Amino acid sequence: MAGSSAVLTDDSLLSRLDRVLLRLETFFAMISGIAVFLLMVLAVWSVGGRKFFSSPLAGYVDWIEAAMPFIAIMGIAYTQRQGGHVRMDILIGQLRGRALWAAELLSVVLILALMLALIWGSWAHFDRSFDFSVPMWSRDSSIDIGLPIWPSKLVVPLAFSVMALRLLLQIWGYGRALVLGLEHPVAVPLVQSAAQQAMAEAEHLEGRE
Amino acid sequence: MDPIEIGLWVSGGMLLMVVLGMRVAFAAGMAGLVGLIWIFWAKRGMEWDQLGWALTVAIKTAGQVPHSKVSSQTLSLIPTFILIGFLAYYAGLTRALFEAAKRWFAWVPGGLAVSTVFATAGFAAVSGASVATAAVFARIAIPEMLKIGYNKQFAAGVVAAGGTLASLIPPSAILVIYAIIVEQDVGKLLLAGFIPGAFSALIYGLLIVGIAMIWKNVGPPVRGFTWGQRFAALPAALPIVAVVVIIIFFVYNPFGDAWGTPTEGGAVGAFIVFCMALIRGMRWPELKDALLETAKLTVMIFTIIWGVLIYVRFLGFADLPGAFADWISSLAVSPMLILICILLAYAVLGMFMDAIGMLLLTLPVVYPAVMALNGGEFVSAAESTFGMSGPMCAIWFGILVVKMAEFCLITPPIGLNCFVVAGVRPDLSVQDVFRGVMPFFIADAITIALLVAFPSIVLWLPSLAG
Amino acid sequence: TEWNVSVWGKRRAFTEHIEKLAELVSEKTDGEFTMNISYGGLSKNRENLDGISIGAFEMAQFCAGYHPDKNRAITVLELPFLGVSNLDEEVAVSRAVYDHPAVQEEMAQWNARMLMTSPMPQYNLVGTGEPRQELGDFEGMRVRATGGLGEAFEAVGAVPTSVTATEAYNAMESGVVDTVAFAQHAHLSFGTINKADWWTANLNPGTVNCPVVVNTDAYEALSPEEKEALDSSVEEAIDHYLANYAELLKKWDTILEEKSVQKVEYSPETIEAFKAKAADPARESWIKDMEAQGIPGQELYDLVQETLEKHRAGN
Ligand code: NA
Ligand code: NA
Repeated sequence: MAGSSAVLTDDSLLSRLDRVLLRLETFFAMISGIAVFLLMVLAVWSVGGRKFFSSPLAGYVDWIEAAMPFIAIMGIAYTQRQGGHVRMDILIGQLRGRALWAAELLSVVLILALMLALIWGSWAHFDRSFDFSVPMWSRDSSIDIGLPIWPSKLVVPLAFSVMALRLLLQIWGYGRALVLGLEHPVAVPLVQSAAQQAMAEAEHLEGRE
Repeated sequence: MDPIEIGLWVSGGMLLMVVLGMRVAFAAGMAGLVGLIWIFWAKRGMEWDQLGWALTVAIKTAGQVPHSKVSSQTLSLIPTFILIGFLAYYAGLTRALFEAAKRWFAWVPGGLAVSTVFATAGFAAVSGASVATAAVFARIAIPEMLKIGYNKQFAAGVVAAGGTLASLIPPSAILVIYAIIVEQDVGKLLLAGFIPGAFSALIYGLLIVGIAMIWKNVGPPVRGFTWGQRFAALPAALPIVAVVVIIIFFVYNPFGDAWGTPTEGGAVGAFIVFCMALIRGMRWPELKDALLETAKLTVMIFTIIWGVLIYVRFLGFADLPGAFADWISSLAVSPMLILICILLAYAVLGMFMDAIGMLLLTLPVVYPAVMALNGGEFVSAAESTFGMSGPMCAIWFGILVVKMAEFCLITPPIGLNCFVVAGVRPDLSVQDVFRGVMPFFIADAITIALLVAFPSIVLWLPSLAG
Repeated sequence: TEWNVSVWGKRRAFTEHIEKLAELVSEKTDGEFTMNISYGGLSKNRENLDGISIGAFEMAQFCAGYHPDKNRAITVLELPFLGVSNLDEEVAVSRAVYDHPAVQEEMAQWNARMLMTSPMPQYNLVGTGEPRQELGDFEGMRVRATGGLGEAFEAVGAVPTSVTATEAYNAMESGVVDTVAFAQHAHLSFGTINKADWWTANLNPGTVNCPVVVNTDAYEALSPEEKEALDSSVEEAIDHYLANYAELLKKWDTILEEKSVQKVEYSPETIEAFKAKAADPARESWIKDMEAQGIPGQELYDLVQETLEKHRAGN
């Protein structure tokens, strides 16, 4: 149900754009991964400071809360590219050919509509906390050490915009497959049977032990 | 139209989108957004010139949720717990555990299978993900069992079932998610997972011993390890013990004040495993890979979380959970029967759905109903239906549903653990694994029945923590 | 008319005026004007002002210290050692400050209109371990205190750590903090009193200010009768709140005794020393900060002091 799916590539413009965007997405996802690592270091520092030097880290909670949007949201397009967002494919897994591409197309169009709405909504959320005319441009601050909140609010529309670009490419990819009746379209994650998928996951682990 | 009616329509629409294969996170987010628009518009009498207003307010309300809900200290446990599991591979903890379990426990009937179960339970203490555990042990444990003449299907079943322990025994991402959704103390929930997790492992072990005693050819014991060899196998597995002790002591210290918060405990545990992995030769390419995989899994989980929370925000405006809770508690059926029906419904739903998605989608409505059955969130043990206070009932129900979710990982048709084991072993078909895992249905049914009948198995440890 | 009201936690002394207001308004309008009070279902508590600004709900409660940059002007009421000594005075100074044009203008940016305050008594500490009797004892103390109060404790060497109110008990149990600053009702409802060894009876370092606001458009859209019903009920709702809180304070001493919590009394010299270290610099820097941003800090501070004098003279 979860896990990644295969994305095919070739020399077409669509596939090249797919790979260009993938580089940006990977960079965003890497920021998320590094933020997780820093979160760990921060906690160790905080505990160490408190236990051994009785000088707790001021604003520990504020920093974690500020870091969480980077961790939780930056990689959204990367995960969409890999087909990594969970779904129930018991029904869609039975479809073949044009019926499958039509269903996939409908699904990504709906997701794009949601993302566009959320880009607007999350931008408004950011905008309420941001004001050029005040110190640190901040009109919303954290509870402990008064960190401005706008930078972490800005992450959301930013990451969602990359997601919207990804969805546009997928609409193109699925649309093309639907019109041309392709069997193995490029630039979109292909449905794998649960068994294939498990194999792919297992292979991934294989490499690491 | 009144809000509850809107709530029902929107919830039905969401389930339809999920069944039709839309990614769960976005189906929930979409349902929430549409629901908000509808409910604000209904408030203005569904006049056409008010639609623009309703749209704006709904979009701005939904747009708050992703940032607002993920900016949580408690939720920061999830990426940490995921990172720990990935780092544990590089630290070589898997093989060390299996080796130690083999030397200590393989002398009983069905010995290697019992060792496998205990090793998966041990690995569960550093891994939040069941599927990963099954995949790793399929590679390590199955060949050893086959070598000494185990039944192929049975060996595969043991690994698939053992893998499920990872989500009950902390660290467990799914327990954290439950705690967030129902707004209960994460630390106590994590504590509560230990004994039922160990208890499940024990029941698996007893079942294996029983099977091995009845059918002599299923799994011969392995003898001949000296005490010296046994102790020699321990040091390599020690970091696991360190992580377990750290997480427990950060939540509950039987000798005094706890050391900190669960968040800090998870992070310190991850740091120890990280150092261990560095010593065992992990370098930047491996670390980069681990971080990227952590990011992907984390984003996947968090996207469902905020997506579902948009839907939950809508539910708040529609007050559907309240209405459902009132309805459930007005039924003239014994509360225990209702609880059992709810658990059975999870068993059925889980056959077709991913565990995290299933819990996130259903808990916002089901949880208040269960709490209402028990007599409310703030009820005392004496006045409650199930004989436990509100917070304790929340913990008990949490462990029950997580155990149900784990059970679903080994049931056909979509038991993910079984697919993973079959995927790792080309000589095994999925049917083989499903056949082999069948006996463990009985074990899980017994475990769940005992947890329902004797809540103190779940509640003893968290009740110590005050 | 039906209004959605966003508050958080559970029903407690802190929300009694809102419950009462809803009751009164509905009574006065024969059920024409009702309020749906939601405890956490509509918004996160730190985003209630955002929700009001959007128009997602019509009425909400929030605390100034949760997000000082959203509501700079009213943070004057959270300055340490302001001199407020009881709930009546707290109501009086809040009312005066809420009426000030600078505050109204800032609230207007959120499309909000001040309705009433949620008067909070002084935030005294409960603590674990040895009582901290002298100013020097505060050095290195990990205290749960927000906003200006946190800064005051910081000035005498303590380390403020904000955990949310619901996590305060756990933070105390786990040693993340060793003292928690709360009003009495919160010490009771969040269970911090159960962990306490001592309580600072007369430190009275300050409090938080938590207004109840309404969405301006929603308010303007009320019929004259509904507006009248709402406005005329505020006084009564506050009185109900005060009476209810007084009951609670009566119980407080018995509870301290039951749990054998030691009352720590500070000498006037200690309190003076604390004030000199924490209050004066905090006030000066606050005023400087505000003036730099075009908010009349000095005027707001003077307004508080004048109102206090007037109020005391009136009684
Ligand atoms: Na685990
Ligand atoms: Na299943």
